[in-house]
This record gives sequence, structure tokens and C-alpha cells, in this order.
Amino acid sequence: MAVAYSLPSDVSPATVTNTRSLLRIIALALISGAAIASRLFAVINFESIIHEFDPWFNYRATRVLASEGFYEFWNWFDPTAWYPLGRVVGGTIYPGLMATSGVIYNVLHALHLPVDIRNICVLLAPGFSALTAWSTYMFTKEMKDESAGLLAAAFIGIVPGYISRSVAGSYDNEAIAIFLLMFTFFCWIKALKTGSALFGTLAALFYFYMVAAWGGYAFITNMIPLHSLALILMGRYSSRLYVAYSSWYAIGTLASMQVPFVGFQPVRTSEHMAALGVFGLLQIVAFAELVRTHVSSKQFQSLLYASVIGMGILGAGAIIGLTYKGWIAPWTGRFYSLWDTGYAKIHIPIIASVSEHQPTAWPSFFMDLHSLVFLFPAGVVMCFRQLRDEHVFVIIYAVVASYFAGVMVRLMLTLTPVVCVAAAIAFSSLLDTYIEPTEPDVADDSSGKIAETAPAVDAASSGSSTAVSASSSTAKKTKKAPTAPPSVSAVAAAMTPSKKGEKPRGIFGLDTRFIVLLNAVGMLLFFVLHCTWVTSTAYSSPSVVLASQNPDGSQHIIDDFREAYYWLRQNTPENSVVMSWWDYGYQIAGMADRATLVDNNTWNNTHIATVGKAMSSSEEVAYPILRKHDVDYVLIIFGGLLGYSGDDINKFLWMVRIAQGVWPDEIQEPNYFTPKGEYKVDDMASPTMKNSLMYKMSYYRFPELFGTSQAIDRVRGQQIPKAGTTLDYLDEAFTSENWIVRIYQVKKEDILGRDLKSANAFAQGKKRKRTKPPVRRKATV
Amino acid sequence: MLKSWRCCLSLFLLGVLGPGVVSAGHSFENTAIVRTVELGGSLVHVTTTYAVKALEDGSRLYTLALADSEHEKTSWLEAKIKGEAAVLSLEEFGYSPDGGAYLYTVELPNALKANGTANLVVETVQTHVTYPWPDQAAQSDGQSLKYETDLLVLSPYHTAVQRTKIRSPLPQIHSYTTLDDFDDFTTESPVTKSGATITYGPYYNIPPSSNKDFIAEKQKHVIVHYAYDNPMLEVLSLKRTAEISHWGANLNIEDKVHLQNSGAKLKGHFSRLEHQSSQYYGRPSPQMLPALTLHLPAGIHSAYFYDLVGNVSTSHLRVAPSVPKGVQSNLNSVMELRPRYPLMGGWNYSFTLGWDSPLRDYAGWDKQTGKYIVGVPLMTIINGAVVNDAEIKIILPEGATDIDYSPPFPSLHSNLSTHVTYLDTIGRPAITLHYKDLTYNHAGTIYVTYKAPFSTLLRKPMAVAAAFISLFLVGFAAKRVDIRIK
Repeated sequence: MAVAYSLPSDVSPATVTNTRSLLRIIALALISGAAIASRLFAVINFESIIHEFDPWFNYRATRVLASEGFYEFWNWFDPTAWYPLGRVVGGTIYPGLMATSGVIYNVLHALHLPVDIRNICVLLAPGFSALTAWSTYMFTKEMKDESAGLLAAAFIGIVPGYISRSVAGSYDNEAIAIFLLMFTFFCWIKALKTGSALFGTLAALFYFYMVAAWGGYAFITNMIPLHSLALILMGRYSSRLYVAYSSWYAIGTLASMQVPFVGFQPVRTSEHMAALGVFGLLQIVAFAELVRTHVSSKQFQSLLYASVIGMGILGAGAIIGLTYKGWIAPWTGRFYSLWDTGYAKIHIPIIASVSEHQPTAWPSFFMDLHSLVFLFPAGVVMCFRQLRDEHVFVIIYAVVASYFAGVMVRLMLTLTPVVCVAAAIAFSSLLDTYIEPTEPDVADDSSGKIAETAPAVDAASSGSSTAVSASSSTAKKTKKAPTAPPSVSAVAAAMTPSKKGEKPRGIFGLDTRFIVLLNAVGMLLFFVLHCTWVTSTAYSSPSVVLASQNPDGSQHIIDDFREAYYWLRQNTPENSVVMSWWDYGYQIAGMADRATLVDNNTWNNTHIATVGKAMSSSEEVAYPILRKHDVDYVLIIFGGLLGYSGDDINKFLWMVRIAQGVWPDEIQEPNYFTPKGEYKVDDMASPTMKNSLMYKMSYYRFPELFGTSQAIDRVRGQQIPKAGTTLDYLDEAFTSENWIVRIYQVKKEDILGRDLKSANAFAQGKKRKRTKPPVRRKATV
Repeated sequence: MLKSWRCCLSLFLLGVLGPGVVSAGHSFENTAIVRTVELGGSLVHVTTTYAVKALEDGSRLYTLALADSEHEKTSWLEAKIKGEAAVLSLEEFGYSPDGGAYLYTVELPNALKANGTANLVVETVQTHVTYPWPDQAAQSDGQSLKYETDLLVLSPYHTAVQRTKIRSPLPQIHSYTTLDDFDDFTTESPVTKSGATITYGPYYNIPPSSNKDFIAEKQKHVIVHYAYDNPMLEVLSLKRTAEISHWGANLNIEDKVHLQNSGAKLKGHFSRLEHQSSQYYGRPSPQMLPALTLHLPAGIHSAYFYDLVGNVSTSHLRVAPSVPKGVQSNLNSVMELRPRYPLMGGWNYSFTLGWDSPLRDYAGWDKQTGKYIVGVPLMTIINGAVVNDAEIKIILPEGATDIDYSPPFPSLHSNLSTHVTYLDTIGRPAITLHYKDLTYNHAGTIYVTYKAPFSTLLRKPMAVAAAFISLFLVGFAAKRVDIRIK
């Protein structure tokens, strides 16, 4: 047999095995290192700080857990959130993330390693990304082999689609959830392949962990039943499937109901009904299979099939009936918005107002996945070539996740693992084919060729793509060839298709191999460059701290948020209530330690709409709302001076829309546009806009900053009228260095019982005009 | 400090000696007393010069008297002979009920013969003795303080002549007590003002004054209202942790500071616009603290400055090269701290500041006793600020024994505890000292001596190695034991 290059044949099999496992461990260790290191840009460029919004709540909850213990945390009622309603934190969160950090914290402290809880929280996501890489390796190993597993681990370690949610400091549920997702899937595949109740139970336990950690657990809840259903429909029912699914579902569901936030949802909501239905179907099918093996009569069998189908329909009908009766909750709004992208915009503006709930733009697929985008379909096609039970899983996962990722930006995260798995399968097949030294025999009959190459391909593919593991192929060939699964030869057939009577096809010589491999390796290099670049530029900003450059090129930190929050914390009474738009609720609670009206846990739409109404109404209307809610300070974000575009004026229309949803008579979106339908803040702005509390607070004394020249809002590029705005019911209390955060204090009622507007006018020495009817006192409660 | 002396010593002495203690000293006459009060923000520096004449041979113990209110606010007291550097030893006798004053005895370096004279200089630093008036000021307003004191310096001896000079940092003195009806010891006008200085006196022939009758009848109270255009700072609490590490050859010092601008409270609200325009025109608000400049030791590295919400990026450190111990040098690393927001009157800012310095600059080894000696700086001076409450914790290496320490002045109370940190097995001994009302004069060095045998150095690597070996052994066993159910 011709070979393109020869391999050493005098290496003992034991040496080969040991070297291979050593190399594998080294490779996994390096991948873990790369996964962790590439997530540290944020810490190196800025500092060890919690990012964005939700992580601040998680961090605050973790601090409570670490300092006061688990039971206190479990029963924690937070009176400062959603003032005056408060929030039962223990029952409204997924505690998995906090519990994980709490355990790590306690273990380290028991070992006398007093690591700060903040550092644990900041570095949790990078740490778990290493575990994700490992679990992806295990998962992909079940799909193809170790070399594909290593490739998949390397991909998921650095792919931006996953990094975007797991950089250091991004202390969110997704940080541990992707590891749990992949590990649960691995356990499920393993249970399915071996029919082991142990792995089924393991899958259930990790499923429980996942339920405790992330709301996205519903993805697993539906993926595994979908896979099982597909297998049944494909006629692949087996006792392995029965054991795996039953042990996973029974234990997993009971365990998941222990999480207070989930409670009885697994038996009472539509999202979970698929799992229950498939569980029931499996029992029926299993029963039918059992009966079939004992009964021979054909008539009886057909009767049985009819009754089985009848029972299935009855069961489905029962579920639908229960839903109509109200015993099972129908799909939630968030779920509908997955099927109808316009749904949220019409019915739930609060969901639509979140940028990560928007449909994904095409470039972001390339940005998040780079070359994996086009390797991914190839990998899925590879799965079709063999189509073992586990390949069905990858195919279903790929289809479902692709759809979801297209609907919602944040669901790109669930797509990323399967992209890495499929791309690794495709890429490693490519490498296997081109590294394999065997050349097709020109003289031989082509039908014999496949039989010969098959074991060789199998051997090569189980090694990694390095030269050393390639050298193992000869040694392994003898050992493993007899047990080689026939499906591998299908791959070989796919790669070297040959028809009878034609000239043998294949790869001849070293040069062809080099050309392909160099291109492939080049693509990997570009992938690494791209990942590093995207991570460092796009995904490593804490968003609490902004960076700009000094004229000399050195980094200048814009730290207005923390400046203002810290001012609130240090210089206002401890029981003050701060009103802001809900985006900043968690940050205020975490950094300023003050009570907030609304926060990022957007459970009460009316409360948010109340804040929206206060912001979008005139001072006279807003004041009673503020006083009724005991608001002491109002905090807004204003980017006009610096050109920070994520400010409240740009979010203002969402406040209007959400308020309009509750008070359609009082707040109307069109009133905030100019007659031409433009959104303007200059002197063309509509009177409603100019009188709104948000507009007034944003531009209060802003034109004075520019002296005699024209004041320009740098975000909207519009000129602000010189006259400026006046505030009668609020006082400017603090404005941060670059004016990004402005805090206003709500005045108390006038002690003489006048309304504050006339009291202010009196204080400024203005005479009340005779022609004007006397201002009626506003009723304030 | 003063209180602690009272606690430890005077109660005991009072019980033993009784009220006759006043006459325990020798008899003297004050030929002249000049008191100079340097007004400031939180701190007021008072220098009193006593020209002393002995009335009998062998007079050595001179008694000083401090009024009750003055004693409470005096955080530092030091007596010297004029022109000499040596500090005289002071002994406190505590409050004398019939004298109406706190008494101290100064031991003169040489016994004086009859009619022999000496010039005694007593320096005190008073804290919490001024207060803003008016107590609120708008952002652009100036700041004024009031200082209150007694007119006459108390002394158990007859005084021939005495005067009090009160010096204000700025010539703008809004008002001062004019003592219009005071004509006891003087024939001229009892007070004169020239520029920034107000002089009370000279007053002649004052009888021994440290007794209740005199204080009730003759003592007067004076108030000075003066402009002060610097922020008045108070450190509400200072927690310093100094950790000595032999493995790292490192002395880490970390201060947790709660700073308050205790000057006139900001009237109304802070306006960034006014602040920025006043910065632009170079007229910053007088009571505002925009930044702090601290002088840290030379040779430090890895300095950090953060607060409860994270790193504060607005700071600069200029490191001076390390100075070997024992070498006289006034090199300092200069740290410029800018709080997150300008500190207006009444505002708080709490932060943590820490740094590492090479241990060799602070530590030595005594061959004779086999003990290490480490000098730990007690505090870092924040200019013009008083430290209300200080807790200094010195953490020694794990396994240190025979611990001994000598602070530059006695602490209110102190205790030994165990501090457990990185990979410790038995924990590290820690000394905690508590102080009140520290000023710039208190920035001394606490000397700690301890024995740390070589074996203590090995404890940590041994513990870590043992942990890893046991881990490997467990792994080794787990790999070889078959626990599968056959």
C-alpha cells in the first residue's frame, strides 16, 4: 500500500497510549489557560470590577450569601428594591450562581485563602469557561473522537459568541449555565449511548443545577424530549432511551421543583409540558414494546398500535384541555416573542426595550463565530452521514438553536456550543483526511480500496492532528481495527468518493496535503486573531467605567457613574429613595446602597410605567407621583456633554411607550415628536417634550456651561435653546464630572402651603401677574 | 494619650497622695508667661513660654496647670527648655478638685538654686476646638471659624506678667472679644489687634490661679471669629493594618480612612456648573477639598487606592527610591489622591490606601537577643486633619514569639490577637493599638520586637506540600481501587 509519508513503526502501543493521553491533558490545560486568559482583558484594561447591570445584583446577593450564610440568603427580603413593595429575593432568583460563588468562597476561606468575594465573582465566569471547554471536549468526543473534542474545546474556549457573556466581571447566570448546559447534554448522550441509569441520574443532577442557575434551563427541558421524540418517530426506540429518559425526567423534574422560583412550574406550565408528554409517550411505547414481544397475534398488535396512538392523542388532548381550564398556564409573553418577533413590540414594550432581545443582525453572526459560521453546516451534514442517535441530537440542537439565535441576540449564546461542536467535527474530518498518509492504490480494484482505507482513517481520526498522534495510527490500527464502527468508513467514503469503473480518487502526494492543511491552519490562525480582537475591543468594557484617550494617547477613565453612586452612598441619608429608570436600579442598589423604585428585575410593569409617567410628564404632574413614592432623589443619565449615547434622552421614548401602555389617556407618544414626526431636543422640540421632567432635568443649566456660545448636545447633534429650563419642584443635588449622571433632590412641600412653583417665583422676587388667574394649590398626599 | 495617662497613673497617685498633691512640687514664680495660639482648621497649635524663677534651692519639679476644657481638647503636650531639643519628662497628676485644673509636673533638667531661672516652652496641639460659624456656607462663600479659649494661663504660682497672642492664618478677623470691662490686672487696654494677630495683655501680678475661686472670679472667656479658607478636615476613623511578611520580605501597610470635611456645611446643593466655572477662573471654593497630597515612605511599590465601589483612577504616585534604614533622609514618595468628587463642607469620603515596602528598610535583627526589630510607622499625616479614632494593627509573621512593642506614646488600650490569612496553619500574632485624636505630632514609629525561628519559615511550604501529597495519595488510591459493582 502506498503512503505519502512513512510513520515510525517501532513504537510500543503502551508508549503511544501514554503519549496520547499526556498530550491530551496538556492540550486541554492549554485550552483552559487560553479560555481564561482571553477573558481577562477587562481586568487588565480596567480593573477587577463587576460589569454592566444584572451582575451587580448577583454580586450584591452573593455578598449577602457570603456574609450572612445560606439560610439568611434564602429568606432574604429586600425592602430597598421596588420601593415601597420590596422583593422576596430568595424566592425570585435562580440561586445557583450565588450558591456556587458562596461555596467557592467558603472552601477557600476554610483553606485559609481569604480571597475577596468580589474577586471570586469577577473570575467565576473565566473559571467556568475552562470547565465549559472541558465539557465540550467530552461532548464532542462522544460525537466523533478525541481530536474533534480538542478542536471543539479550543473553539468554545475563545469563540466571541461565548466570551461576550463570560468575560471576567460579567457575573451573570450565563457564566456557569453554558458549562451546565454542555455537561447535562454530555451526560444525556452518555446515558443514551450506554443505557446507564447512573448517567441519566447525573444528567438529572446537572439539570437540577442548571435549573437553579439560569432561566434558560427550559432549553434543556425541551431539547431532550425533542431528541427522544425524534428518536421514537425514527423508529429508534430502545431500552437505553427508556432508561436514560425516565431516570433523567423523574429525578430531574423532582429536583428542579426544589428551586423556589421554579416550584410547581414543571407540572403546571406549557413550557414544561413537552417533557411530560414525551415521558408519558415513552411509557406507552415501552408498554407496547413489552406487549409486542409477548404477543404474536397480528390483529392484537394492530389493535395495540391503535390504542397506543389513541392514548397519545388522549394525553395530548388532556394537556390542551387542562390549559384551557387554567390548570396549566399557557405560554408566557417572552415565549411568544420567540415565535413572533413583532409580538413583544406590540404587547410587552418592556421586553422589546431591551437591546439584547432584538433580532440578530447578520454581521453579528460573523462577528461572534467567524469561520465557524461556514464550518457549522458542514459539521451538521457530517452528522447526517453517520446519523447515530447522538448525531440526531446535534442536528436537532443545530436547527433549533439557529432559529432562536436569529430571533434574539442573546440566544446566540445557546447556538455557540453546537456551532463549535459541529465545526470541530467538520474541521477534524478535514484534518483526518489530509493528514492520513495512505494513498489510494492505483492498480487496485476500487471496491477493495474502501475496505482498506477505512480502518486507517478510523485510526488516524482518533488521534489528534499533531504529528505524534499521527504516528500512533499505525500502532492503533492493529488494535482497534476489528472493532471499528462501520459508520467511519462512510466518512471515508464521503471524503474519497469512488465509483466503479472510474479512476481511483484520493489524495496523492505531500503537496496536495500541504496546500489544504496550510489553508486550514491559516483559517484557524485568523480565527484566533479575530477572537482576540473582538474580545478585546467589543466585549471587555465594564460599561460602568468608560475609557477614552488623553491627547497623549494614554488611557483616560471616565468614572462618572461610580462618582455619582458613591456620592449618593456617602452623602445622603441612608433611608433615601432614589428614582431612576430601571436600567440603573441594580447599580444604585449595589454601588450606592440606596432604595430604588424599579430595577432590572422587571417584574412589575405598572411600577415601571409609573416611573415612566413621572419622567415623561410635566413637573406639576410628576411631583405628586414622586411624593407619593417617598422619592428623595431622582437620578438620570445625560450624555449630551460628552457624547455618551446610551443616555436617558435616547431611552426616553421607551419610557413614554411603557407609560402609555398603562395610561393611554395621559401619555401619548406622538406628543413627543415634532409636527414633522422628528425626535428633537432643540427649539423645534414639542412643548410636551420640553415640559417633560426628563427633558428639564437633562438640560437644566446645561446651556450656561457654554457661556456665550451655542450649547450643543453632542449625542443628538442638536442645539439646545439658550433660554434653558427651570425646575420648581426639584433641586439639582449633584452632577458628575462629565455631567453623565445628574441627581436631583425632590423638594418637600412648601411650609406655607403654597405650591412650589409660586413659592419659587416669590423667592425670586417675581410678581404674580394680575391677568393670570391665581394658581390653584395642587393636592398633594 | 492624655486620658490614658489619667487612667493609668493619676487615679492611683491621687488616691495615695490626696489633694495635697498641689504642694508636692517646689515653689516657683513665673516672671513671664507668653502664650501664642496659632489658629488653624481642625488643629490649633499653642506654644506657652514660662519664664520661671525658683524661690528656694533645689527646685526641680515645676507644676503646669491646664483648665478642664482645655485639657479635654489638648491632644499633644510637650515641655522643653527653650533652645534645647530634649523633651522634659512629664507626669500627670490628673484633675485637682479644689484647683479646678489638671496638673502636670515637669522635671527640669537641673535643680535650680534660689532665684535661678529657666525658660520652659510648653507646646500643645488642640483638636476639636474650632467650629465653623456660620455653620453653613454656600458653594462660593468663604468659610469662617470660631475659636474659644480662656483668657488667662493658669498656674499654681504667682505670675508677674503674662500675655496671650492669637494669630490667625488670614488677616480677616471678623470679631474678637474686646474685654471692655476687664481692668483687673492691667491699666492699659486689655487687648490690641495688629494685622492677623490679637494680643491679650500684658497682665500684671496675677496670683496663683489654679484654684476654683480664681477661676470663678477672674477668668474670662475669649472668642475669636476668623476667616479660614482651607478645608477643615477630620478623619473620623483610621484603621491601619501593617503586615510583616518574612517570606515576601515585605511590609504591607493599608489604611482604611473615613474622611470628613467638617467645615461649614454646604448650604443648598452642589452645582457642578459653578464648580467648573470657578475652577476655570481659578477661584475654587475655599471650603472644598479637591485633592489630598500625602507623603508616603520612600521606596514603596504596588500602591493602591480604592473605595467601596472599586479602584479610584484619579491618583498619581511619585515614588522616591528606597532609603536604607538608619540613614537620615527626607525623601518621600508623594501620593496625590483625588477623591471621586470634590469634598464639600459636611461631605464624607471613605477610601482604602495601601502600599508595599521592602522590609529591609524597616526591620533589623538583634544578634544579642536573637530578635527581630521592626519599626512600623504609626500614621500617615493628612495635612491639617485630626484623626478622631485610630486603630493600628500590626500583624507579625506566623509563629513569632516573645513579642514586645513600644509605641512612641501610650495607647488607650491594646490587645494581642491571632490573624489568620494566606495558607496559615496556626495564624499570625497581631498587636492592635487604639488611639484618639491623633495629630501631625503623633506620626511616630512603633517598634516591635519578636523572635521568629527559621522553623517558622518552613511551616507554610510544609503545610502546602502535605496538603498536595495527601491529595495525590487520595488520587493514587482512587485510581487503583475498583469500586464498581460486579
